[in-house]
Order: sequence, then C-alpha cells, then structure tokens
Amino acid sequence: MMLGFIYQFLHSSFLWFWMKWFLRQVTGKCELQRICHGYQPGAARTSRIENSLKSSKNKVLQDAVNVQEDAVESCVTHIMKEKQIKEQKDPKFKVNLRQCLVQISGYNALFLSVEEQRKEVFDSDNEAHEKMLLKLWDLLMPSVELESRITKQWGNIGFQGDDPKTDFRGMGMLGLVNLVFFSEKYTATARHVLSHANHPSLGYSYAIVGINLTEMAYSLLRSGALKPHFYNTVAGKPHIDHFHQLYCYLAYEFDKFWVEEKPASIMEFNIYREKFHDKVKGFLLEPEVSLVLKIESKNCPDD
Amino acid sequence: MGLLSILRKLKSTPDQEVRILLLGLDNGGKTTLLKQLASEDISHITPTQGFNIKSVQSQGFKLNVWDIGGQRKIRPYWRNYFENTDLLIYVIDSADRKRFEETGQELAELLDEEKLSGVPVLIFANKQDLLTAAPASEIAEGLNLHTIRDRVWQIQPCSALTSEGVQDGMNWVCKSVNAKRK
Repeated sequence: MMLGFIYQFLHSSFLWFWMKWFLRQVTGKCELQRICHGYQPGAARTSRIENSLKSSKNKVLQDAVNVQEDAVESCVTHIMKEKQIKEQKDPKFKVNLRQCLVQISGYNALFLSVEEQRKEVFDSDNEAHEKMLLKLWDLLMPSVELESRITKQWGNIGFQGDDPKTDFRGMGMLGLVNLVFFSEKYTATARHVLSHANHPSLGYSYAIVGINLTEMAYSLLRSGALKPHFYNTVAGKPHIDHFHQLYCYLAYEFDKFWVEEKPASIMEFNIYREKFHDKVKGFLLEPEVSLVLKIESKNCPDD
Repeated sequence: MGLLSILRKLKSTPDQEVRILLLGLDNGGKTTLLKQLASEDISHITPTQGFNIKSVQSQGFKLNVWDIGGQRKIRPYWRNYFENTDLLIYVIDSADRKRFEETGQELAELLDEEKLSGVPVLIFANKQDLLTAAPASEIAEGLNLHTIRDRVWQIQPCSALTSEGVQDGMNWVCKSVNAKRK
C-alpha cells in the first residue's frame, strides 16, 4: 500500500525523471529494457511498455503506440537508435520490444476490423447475409424447418418479430457473425444456452440478448479495457476470430450468471446486465486476466 | 409579484418530477428517442430487453422517462409500469406500413386501460427521415385519433435519428403536464 503510494507519487512527479536517470546510470539500462527484462511476456510486460511509451517525452517513443503493423520493424530500430541501445549488449531486447509493439498495434488493428464489421448493415438483398441468417437457424434448430423467411418462428431463437433484420441495429453484421460463430464452434453449448433462454419463467430472448452482449464486447474493446485479455491470450497479432471467441465467453458466462441469479423476470435484464458487466470489468483489472471459455462438462458433454 | 417572492418561489419549487412512459412496437425508435433526449450517442443501440430509464431536465421539470421494450413477448409487462404515469409517449415507425394495424391495436388497448385514463398522449410519427415514411396526417387518420375524446393528445412527426421534431414534441409534453398540474 505504502510502496504503491510512493511509486504513484514518484511516477507523477518530476522526481521520476531523475529516478529513471539514476537507474539508467546504475543498471546501464533504460526503462524499456528494464521492463522487458523484469516482466513476463503478456499484459505484465506489454501494458507497461505501452504506458512507458505513452508517457515518454520523446516523440519517436510516443508515436510508437500508434504504429502500424508493417512499420513495427523500423519502429523498433528507431527506438533503439533514440535510446542508444546496443543490440549486442542486450540481444533479447529487440525481439521482446518487437513482440510488445506487434501486440499494441494488433489491438488497434483488431478494433478497426471489428468496427468495420459492425458498420456493415444487415441487408436482405445481400445473399451472403441472408445465408448466414438461415445458417444460424439451422445450427440452433436442426430439427425444425423454417416455414418461410418472414415468420413468427424467429421468436423461438429470441428475435423480436417476424423478421430478424431490424434487430441487428447498431451492431450490424457483427451481431450476426457473433451469434453464428458461437453456434458453429460450440454447437451443443449454444443449444444448451438457448434451452435456458427458452425457459418459460427464467428465460430471456436468446438472439437479442446475444446482440446486447456483442455491444458489451464491442464497447470493452473500444475503451481499451480488453487490452490485458488480448495481451495475455494472443502472443502475436490478434485476429477477428479472437474477438468472436471473447463473445462466446460472454454469451456462455452471462447465461450461467443469469441462471444462478434467478431474476424475477426478463424486465430485470438491464440490472443483471450491469452486474455482469461490472463483474467482467473487475476481471479485466487483474493482471493475469484471460477470458477464455471453459465449458463445464456437466453442462455440455459433447462439445 | 416582487423580486423576493419570485426568488422564494423558485427556491421552494425544485424541479417537479414527471413520470413519462415511452411505448410502441419493437423497432419503433423508442430507445433512440430516449438517448436523443438525454443527448447520448445513438450509434450503438441494440434491441431493448426489459426497459431503460433516464431522467432529463426540461423547462423546470425532471422528466423520468421509462422506455419499455416493444417486442410482443414483453408487451404483457407494460401494464406493470402504468401506475402514476403523468404522460404517455407512443412511438410509431412511420415507414413500417405493414404494422400500422398492429400498432393501432396496441395503442387502442392502451387508451382503454383504466390506469391510464385521462393521461395525455403524444404520438411520435417517427422515422420521417425515411423516404417511405407516411406523413403524420395519414397516420392520424389511419389510427382514428380524432375519436379520442377522453384526454388531450397530439401527433408529432419526427426523426429520432436527426432529432428533427423531437423538441416540438417535448414542448407539448411540458405544456400538457403544466396544464394538468394546475
């Protein structure tokens, strides 16, 4: 506690500059080197590198947090030149710094591709969109045939009306892709979750709650809250599938949470959504966080 | 009235609380309207499961606006929110002609509710930004609004997306609540 306070104070004051200078003289290493040396790969290292770069007074270091993936290599060289780090003296540094920058730029790139998918509006005239929607039905309801494209049956998987297209709204195709991804990769689990959602008194609307959880995942990504999760679970550049995987985690865990909490009715949804949101945000404050879907076998033996 | 008594009056009447119910079919634009009223970002909206509530300050009132999800499955819950309602805002998607009949039925049922008797109703003919939107006059006619005699009502064309017409509607809301409270 006290040490943390002293650390905070030092960090925020001008003393930090001299502290770093002093450490550099004693250890012969700059802050970036000390971080790479002293912390394990993952959020512990990458987040510290990111903060150090951000708060640097040097423009080259500051700009490094916004580096594009294809410029990482030259950025590393540039930083080493600025900080006068000799590769021979600290051979691992270059590799480690590169990995941190790949993760940092990868997170930013991931947000851009997620944002692109979100902005893609579901369009009934687009064959691929329509096909994906029908695929969602087939994955969740293998034994029931859809009577027509516009039908009340959509309510059985938790859409609001006769035509799901109006339910994607602000999440666009990202919402549908998330739903299909979960049903495809974890089919038995998704059907199991759907069976909870269709419970007569404890149920909720599977699809639109899913779209709500897409929004949760999206806003956590956008705010940067998911950084430690991705730094810990993806060593290189994250792919959009890693985001969809995170959605699966939320869909599974939310259902579990809902069933455990037993809300009085569906009208309480937003209260429990916030409780769950706070819980997830709490996890994300832990340095070791890794929000990976772990299916309890008693729930879904065949996944 | 002297300056002092005006000041005293201002001090003694903190914002009056008003309970407003926001109802209508799913995809009508209720949540967009709510967020627009609260000056919040409207680009990431998702379907409402359950309800949302926000308080908005307007013309000396504290408007507590309850936005209840519109899907058929949760319409039976609407009645749980009727108690002590000062004003009803009913939102219609003016471009969704296929559901005019359904939305008309729901509105008629609401107007028949005992707990909502005499409650002023504002009908927002929303989505006027869309080319296919029906004009407010056509909707008023289709819903037989002129037959409403047991309360004050108003139909207001608007676009929750662009916020056009929203303020006009809210001015009517404040005026009606004022008249009712006097």
